Amino acid sequence: MKVVTGVIGNDIHVVANRLVELSLIARGFKVYNLGVNTPLTEFFDAMVETGAEILLISSLNGEADGWSEEVSRIRSAYRDLNNIIMMIGGNLCVGSGDALEINQRYMRRGFDLVCHQVDLNTGLDMLEHHILKLRARNHDSSRTKKANSGKRDYICI
Amino acid sequence: MTLREQRKQTLENETTFAFDIDEVTEFVKGASEELFISYHYARKKRMLVQPRGGFPTYEKQFELYAALQEAGADILPLTVDSHTRLNDYRTANKMLQASKTTGKDMLNGYPLISHGYRSTRQMICHFGFPVSLRHGTPDARLLTEIAIASGIFEIEGGPLTYVLPYSKNFPLDKAFLYWQYVDQVCAQYSEKNRLINRESFGPLTATLVPPSITISIQLLEMLLSLDEETKSFSVSFSQQGSIIQDVVTAKVMRKLANHYARLYGHLDARIQLVYHQWMGAFPAKKDCADQLINVSTVIAWMVNADKIITKTRDEAAGIPSKESNARAVSSTLYTLQILEGLPCLSDEREEEVLTEEVTAIMEAVLGNAADTLWRKIFNSVKSGIIDVPFSPHIINMNRLITVRDENRNIRIAERGNVPIPQRCYDYEKSCCKVRSGAKDLVASIISDIGIMQ
Repeated sequence: MKVVTGVIGNDIHVVANRLVELSLIARGFKVYNLGVNTPLTEFFDAMVETGAEILLISSLNGEADGWSEEVSRIRSAYRDLNNIIMMIGGNLCVGSGDALEINQRYMRRGFDLVCHQVDLNTGLDMLEHHILKLRARNHDSSRTKKANSGKRDYICI
Repeated sequence: MTLREQRKQTLENETTFAFDIDEVTEFVKGASEELFISYHYARKKRMLVQPRGGFPTYEKQFELYAALQEAGADILPLTVDSHTRLNDYRTANKMLQASKTTGKDMLNGYPLISHGYRSTRQMICHFGFPVSLRHGTPDARLLTEIAIASGIFEIEGGPLTYVLPYSKNFPLDKAFLYWQYVDQVCAQYSEKNRLINRESFGPLTATLVPPSITISIQLLEMLLSLDEETKSFSVSFSQQGSIIQDVVTAKVMRKLANHYARLYGHLDARIQLVYHQWMGAFPAKKDCADQLINVSTVIAWMVNADKIITKTRDEAAGIPSKESNARAVSSTLYTLQILEGLPCLSDEREEEVLTEEVTAIMEAVLGNAADTLWRKIFNSVKSGIIDVPFSPHIINMNRLITVRDENRNIRIAERGNVPIPQRCYDYEKSCCKVRSGAKDLVASIISDIGIMQ
């Protein structure tokens, strides 16, 4: 599967970004890494350009808390981005904050997976688990509906 | 455009008040030789010690210099804030004003452009010590002008070492031309008095950079600078995590720097070697940080550095106080004093492999079909012949992957497009046990980065 990843905003923490890239490659994903200092719109542009199914945004300095308020609005301006998996990880607030609260805040903003100060491999295990869950659900529903339309779901690619 | 026209264009801007080229030239001509690092290099009896440091206001910088001078520093630093590094003088000005009114430091360095050269020169002449400009500025044309006008006669940086670790998308081709300007201005002033020294920034990203890449980049920036008539140049690198690898790196760097300088006809150039105490992630425990600084100093002695640049016990926490900075200087001086007579290590096999690797990279770069040296280097970065691990820059290939072996040496696990000869590559790979591409590679890279924590 294809993943677009990068670090949002004026955030130049490159080490973690490279480790995310290497880890995703090791797990068999096709990675489009936009690197550090990436504006929000560039992520969505890249999703359209690459046809990726997963968007994984990182934030190390906590800037994401501000930027992510814009996510739903910006995403809705793009067509065909309804079925993507949106994941975010790193330090998701400036200073310290309650993890549960942060989780819920980002979920409301449209993220499927939120990893505030979660270990990289644990976070990517969560992603793989999420993909399997979606696959299973998709498989079940296609059996019951006996759907035979030519439309391919992103998760089967 | 001639250099004179370029300088005029650079110096006429909204932030610089009436830059008087003739007055500045007279100042350099008449400046005390004590202000020139090149003068101290020529007559030094032991390794020179230089801390790092910059505070926003004139007063705090003055107090820092007083503390460092008292601690015995040979060279004073002028570290510039990050807005100035990105040529954002407007924000630097604003934050300088805010620092003055609130009494809190709102900048992570001394905003040299905002202060201007007239007041800064007063401070530097007051102390009468050589000052080194430490920054990280891809376009340092104006900064260099103001620095020299202030009495700062060592300029650090270069088109590779101040772009690849510091910027995502500053155009690298422009950086080569901007650093030509810096070198030419330094060379021009060098004719008026003692030599102005140029220094390259060998630590790069300070994150698992293999010595072959570090040395190649040092040699290339040296050649670029010497081509513009620089006569005093320092190559540098930072502690890598393995003592023997540091010793071997220094030997090969010094040997090949002299070799390539000669090969390109720069027979009269003076080349120094500078060693940076550990530049990676520091231990949070201050006692451990002190020990790390001490061990760094021992290694600096073993590699026979001409200058050591110190860190402080506050490194993990943030910008150091003047007290802890002074403390690092005096403890480094003390350690150097008691090391007198320490025998030298060497490892011929490692030296041979590293020499072969660097020679292969240099041959690939210098053999590029482009017409000028900077274009050859530019093309080599684009094609990944030069690849800096953990560079944030979009032009960097990011295919070179390194890990540490059992003895903490940095080894190449994946060479990417870097032309590491097969024999050396086999050797590197045989040293590290981690299978590249496997999931545990990332885990070992994480622990390899944090070895000093």
